[in-house]
Amino acid sequence: MQTLKNFFRTVFLIDLLKGLWVTLKYTPQPAFTFQYPAERRPVAARFRGLLRLQVEPETGAQTCIVCDQCAKVCPDDLISLGGHREPGQKIKILDYFDFNLSRCSFCGLCSEVCPTKPVKALIMSEDYELGSYSRNTQILRVDEMYDGVPIEQYTR
Amino acid sequence: MGLIDQRFDDNIITTNLDKILNWARRSSLWPMGFGLACCAIEMMATSASRFDISRFGAEVFRASPRQSDLMIVAGTVTKKMAPVLRRLYDQMPEPKWVISMGSCSNAGGPFPTYSVLQGVDKVVPVDVYISGCPPRPEALLYGLMRLQDKIRKENTVLRRPRVIKVGETEPVLVEDRG
Repeated sequence: MQTLKNFFRTVFLIDLLKGLWVTLKYTPQPAFTFQYPAERRPVAARFRGLLRLQVEPETGAQTCIVCDQCAKVCPDDLISLGGHREPGQKIKILDYFDFNLSRCSFCGLCSEVCPTKPVKALIMSEDYELGSYSRNTQILRVDEMYDGVPIEQYTR
Repeated sequence: MGLIDQRFDDNIITTNLDKILNWARRSSLWPMGFGLACCAIEMMATSASRFDISRFGAEVFRASPRQSDLMIVAGTVTKKMAPVLRRLYDQMPEPKWVISMGSCSNAGGPFPTYSVLQGVDKVVPVDVYISGCPPRPEALLYGLMRLQDKIRKENTVLRRPRVIKVGETEPVLVEDRG
């Protein structure tokens, strides 16, 4: 009896059809794939991307007060910055801000300690498309650090 | 390709052959998954159906270096692993490319220690560096597209004069035709 049952299972391909039925059940669903270069997924609110310097949104003035706290807190010593004080002015002026992206582990400590209010001078932005052809271009200078550097669009 | 590699001047056959060969090379980059640490998880996510690296023709993760064109070094390369990595790179057939994925393989990451290789480019030549810790799957796809851009500009059978400019390390084309 068992032999006959097994024979009919083999002849009518019952096991194969069972498996195909599972496949067929998932077929009418829309495609799950996220078409990355065409559509960009919004990142989470706490996402930590590339480190950026910010300016005052209305005036465009510099917000960084050259307090050196980000350079001190960085666990890998990736930030070095410096400034000078103009005679008669109260705040320092940022001269250079070098950020070595190649070792960065995106921990976000630098932007956490940044004391400027209400606009934070250092933020972890939403840029995550960081491909480069050489290690020299991974050391970002001050003009590359400012927010709003356009992301290179994908062209086919 | 050794016989015809970069040996011909411009004419209608060789320029079109160059285009076809570059198209074939960039749209069938078979990677060798060199997953060493947490970046390998993101590499697996990239090859899964949500991000689907096969849209770029790079879905066939080979376990053997003999069948692969692209080495994605994903993760911390220790000094014990470095000779193995170099041997696997040497076993890959030409043409071959290397993507360094993540801060650890770019420059050693947060491990400036005696046991970690400070950047995978000390062992193999790297084409594209992807920053991130680990990079998002989108960032890996972005790096792959940058590599495809690089392959598109390569000259396969054409001979084009290159110069090394003062202060540079990489040779550049004398006249860049785009």
